[in-house]
Amino acid sequence: MTARRSRISHKPWAILSIGTVLIGAFSLSHTGPVLNIGGLPQALQFLRASLHPDLSFDFLQIIIRATGVTFAYAVCGTLLSIAIGFLGGILSSEIWWHAVWPNQAGRSVVRGLLAIPRAIHELIWGLVLVNLLGLDPLVAILAITIPFSAIVAKVFSEILDETPRAPMQLLVSAGVAPPSAVLYGLLPQALPNLLSYSFYRFECALRSSAVLGIIGAGGLGYEIFLSLQSLRYEQLWTAFYALILLNGCVDAWSAAVRQRLGFVSRLALGLPQRKEPQDLGGRQSNWWIWSGIGLMGLLCFWFVGADWSLLWSGRTVRLLSELAASAIPQVPTLAQGITLLQVSWQTVVMSLLASILASMGGLVLSLPAARGFLLPKGLLGTMASETPWAVAVGKFGYVGTRLFLLVSRAVPAPIWALVFLFILFPGIWPGALALALHNLGILGRLMAEVNENTEQRSIRALRIQGASALQTLLYGLLPVTLPQFLAYSLYRWEVCLRATVIVGLVGAGGLGRLMMEQISSFDYGGLTLTLTIFVFLTIVVDSISAALRQKLR
Amino acid sequence: MAAVFELDRVTHRFNRTESLRKISLTVQPGEKVALIGPSGAGKSTLLNLLNGTYSPSDGTLRVFDRCLHQLSGRQRRQLQRQLGTVYQHHGLITNLSVLHNVNAGHLGRWSLWKAAWSLLWPLEVERATAALAAVGIAEKLHTRADRLSGGQQQRAALARVLVQDPAVILADEPTASLDPERSREIMALLVGLCNRDATKTLVMSLHDVAVARRYCDRIIGLRHGQLAFDLSVSQVTDAHLQTLYQL
Repeated sequence: MTARRSRISHKPWAILSIGTVLIGAFSLSHTGPVLNIGGLPQALQFLRASLHPDLSFDFLQIIIRATGVTFAYAVCGTLLSIAIGFLGGILSSEIWWHAVWPNQAGRSVVRGLLAIPRAIHELIWGLVLVNLLGLDPLVAILAITIPFSAIVAKVFSEILDETPRAPMQLLVSAGVAPPSAVLYGLLPQALPNLLSYSFYRFECALRSSAVLGIIGAGGLGYEIFLSLQSLRYEQLWTAFYALILLNGCVDAWSAAVRQRLGFVSRLALGLPQRKEPQDLGGRQSNWWIWSGIGLMGLLCFWFVGADWSLLWSGRTVRLLSELAASAIPQVPTLAQGITLLQVSWQTVVMSLLASILASMGGLVLSLPAARGFLLPKGLLGTMASETPWAVAVGKFGYVGTRLFLLVSRAVPAPIWALVFLFILFPGIWPGALALALHNLGILGRLMAEVNENTEQRSIRALRIQGASALQTLLYGLLPVTLPQFLAYSLYRWEVCLRATVIVGLVGAGGLGRLMMEQISSFDYGGLTLTLTIFVFLTIVVDSISAALRQKLR
Repeated sequence: MAAVFELDRVTHRFNRTESLRKISLTVQPGEKVALIGPSGAGKSTLLNLLNGTYSPSDGTLRVFDRCLHQLSGRQRRQLQRQLGTVYQHHGLITNLSVLHNVNAGHLGRWSLWKAAWSLLWPLEVERATAALAAVGIAEKLHTRADRLSGGQQQRAALARVLVQDPAVILADEPTASLDPERSREIMALLVGLCNRDATKTLVMSLHDVAVARRYCDRIIGLRHGQLAFDLSVSQVTDAHLQTLYQL
């Protein structure tokens, strides 16, 4: 079955990759010099600082507090967006409308409404909200909650629609009211996937929360940005290390909890899962996990201390109406229209380059990053005897790759872009590389999990028959894992497109840079136009990606 | 007493293909009816029409003298509570315990809140235990449904119907993919449930004619979506069966 599936899927993927590399190279030849040799000394200075971060007591205090703030924003944002996204997910699922009101019009309305908040990156939401609410922690929480709720709603609705319906239909045919039938016959079966995805969302929220620091919302991102602007690289690295540590702890915690609850894959993306969903019967013994999460949520809401009354204060309402009035776009001139088209194209190319580099790198790095693969007798390790040397190489390969992946995903893409701007001229390349590096860290880890969860007995058999590591890879592992890898990569393309905005904000070209210019010159009319184009691009890319992912099934 | 089902020239189409064509028949309370016929004859479709999952494309279908498809949602659900269905596959909520699956038989009577509450703190545990004891798997109360064997899953589905306590039991191939010993047990249970009450009606599709002859009092033959015969067990001859199953 897998063989048939991959035969279908290789072709569009190959065409897409080759096409993009060509397009990327073509557009590159038009943008002038890329490498900035003059920035090299500064880059070296930056790298040297990694060895002696600022560990003074005063600065550490600042960093610890900032770490807490970043973490708390992520927790509050995740909890709110899961609650809202759950409702939205039910209301935009086909099955709900099918069961409750046999009329799909309502569903299209809900889905349409959710497409807009989803398409706009949390940083843009943050910038708009800062203008409305001022610098309050509420800005960071809402900037995460608004787009994340819509994303959660979309993914939850997909999970619900892909859950087997027969048990629910049976209840309906026995006269059970549809809401009860959904609750009892559908949700329990969807729950493991819903929860798995929620954990994944939390990891994403943590990264977003760090990014939001850049607009002044506080936390580690803010400290990093300040240090970078004042060229204090020692302090910058302290914040980097804190961010990496925080990400590492959260990822490890999430993996451990998921393992304990038995939710193996975080992001099933509708592909068949190899391990069976887990026992909900064991729920009672896990009550402390859930109560711990609840307690942590309360603690975080208290620690953040957002001023919720800002939401309905007179000032906010007044500013909102002013903003709405100034946000009506003017018809662009022909020249402006052409520029917009060019910049949109740049954005698409940037997202494609980033996601292809990230998925290729992720695919390669996911092999050493999978537990036990490189060890002697492992899937790709030596088949000779277990010398201490071979064990050491295997372990070092595993830990080293994991660490590299952790660092590259822990540092937000705009920060990577700023770092790349030391040695590259502004343009699409620093943006594409920054996005690629950040997403490589995410994809590498996701793919390593896929590798680990693959049923290995039949693949190991190849190895025992005498196939080399590379042959085993090509004939045993890849045919099984590739569809899932491609699905992840396509999904990352959607994410990369949204994220082009944030690297654009630091001068890396594309629509993001244009938006940044428009926001700083209060050109809200122009911003509306740019955002509209961006939402349109997002919808196009999402549907291409969805169609290709459909083919992978 | 009103007839349980009254079909008058009922036709059902999926898109353009006719899966059932002008079926007319009546089922009286207390009857045990077997639907037989080759694969694709429309047995499952007919059962799904009877329990209201599908609506007839043409003709009229009356359940307890009322048109199921013209009723309001609430009245319709009230009527459907009198119809319990058992499928061979896909009937159970696989990652819930047997207890919850059996309790799903209460859902027609429970409010949404009571249903939600019961998922956290199971209600009516005694009733569920009794129902499971009646089908012989009382010890599986807290086992997850997908950890049961095929025969045990079918027993759990029967326990749910027992809790629902409908006037009519519809069964779609209740013994397919079970070994002969297991299918005998399941059939004995199913027929036993119906024999507790003289007015309980059973309509089931079967692939095994011998089983139909043994446990039912009326056999309906379906072929290419049409009624081939509708006779009491003693009237069904080998000639009937030969025409029914010939290619």
